[in-house]
Amino acid sequence: MKEKAKPSDIHQGDILPTVVKQISQQKINLYADASGDYNPIHIDEDFAAKTPLGGTIAHGMLILAYASEMMTRAFGQSWLEGGKLSVRFKAPARPQDTITTSGKVDSIEEKDGIPHVNCSLECRNQNGDVVISGGAVVKLQ
Amino acid sequence: MKEREQSSPLSFKQLPVGFEFPPTSYQLSEPVIAKYLEAVGEESDFLTSGIVPPLAIAACAMTALSQSFTVPPGSIHASQELEFLKVVLIGVSISCGGKIAQKMERGSLNLVILEINVTGQAGEKVMTGKATIAAPNQ
Repeated sequence: MKEKAKPSDIHQGDILPTVVKQISQQKINLYADASGDYNPIHIDEDFAAKTPLGGTIAHGMLILAYASEMMTRAFGQSWLEGGKLSVRFKAPARPQDTITTSGKVDSIEEKDGIPHVNCSLECRNQNGDVVISGGAVVKLQ
Repeated sequence: MKEREQSSPLSFKQLPVGFEFPPTSYQLSEPVIAKYLEAVGEESDFLTSGIVPPLAIAACAMTALSQSFTVPPGSIHASQELEFLKVVLIGVSISCGGKIAQKMERGSLNLVILEINVTGQAGEKVMTGKATIAAPNQ
C-alpha cells in the first residue's frame, strides 16, 4: 500500500492514474455475492429486460470502487483516512462495457494548516458516455 | 457480509423521515475482503497491507441499510457521498447504522436519501455518507 501522499508531490493540474475495467455479468454477480446486494436489476436478466433499462446494470458501488481505486493509487493512505467524495450516477454501466476512470487535481487549498486537494473525477464507458461524475477531496495530514 | 438475522423489512414508503436503522455489525474478515477485492478487481495491495478498502466498508453499510427496508424492484442508486475518517484493519468488526434523511417524489420516481454512519470497535467514527436511492413509483 502506498504511504500517505506528500504535499510536495501533488500539484494543481496533475492527472490521476487511470483505471480501466471490463464489466461482465459474471463480475456483477460476483459483486452481488460479495456485497449482499441482490437487487434483480443487477442479476436477473429476464426481469431487467422488462424494465425501462432494458437489461441488467452494474451496481453503482461497483463502478464507484474503480474511482476509489484510482484515488488510492494517487493518494495512498491519505485517501483511506482523509478522503471524501460526492458523485452522481449519470448512466448505467452494463455487462460488456469497458469503464475508464479519469481524474484531475483542480486545486489545493490550505484549511487549518492542512492541505486539501480538490479533484474532479469521472467514469466513462467505451462510447465516452459519463457513467459517474463528481468530485473528491483528500486531506494531506 | 451480513452477520445478523433480520426481521421482515418494511417498505421504505412506510418509514418516516428521521427513522433510524438499528446498527448492524459486520466482521471484516480476510475471506470477506478477499471476496470483495476479487469482485471489484482491485489491484492495490489491501490484503497484504491488512487494510479494508474504503468502498468495502461503504458496501457493507449500504447493504446493512438496504436490508432494513424494501424498495421496489428496479430501484437504482442515484448519488453517493462518502467520507473516510480512519483506516480500518482487516479482521475488526464495524457497526453500520443510519437514518432516512429525506423522501421526495420526482415525476415517476420516489427518491429516498439515507444518512450512513459506520463506527469501529471502540465506537470511533470510521466513515460517514449519504446515498440517494431512486425507486419507481408503483
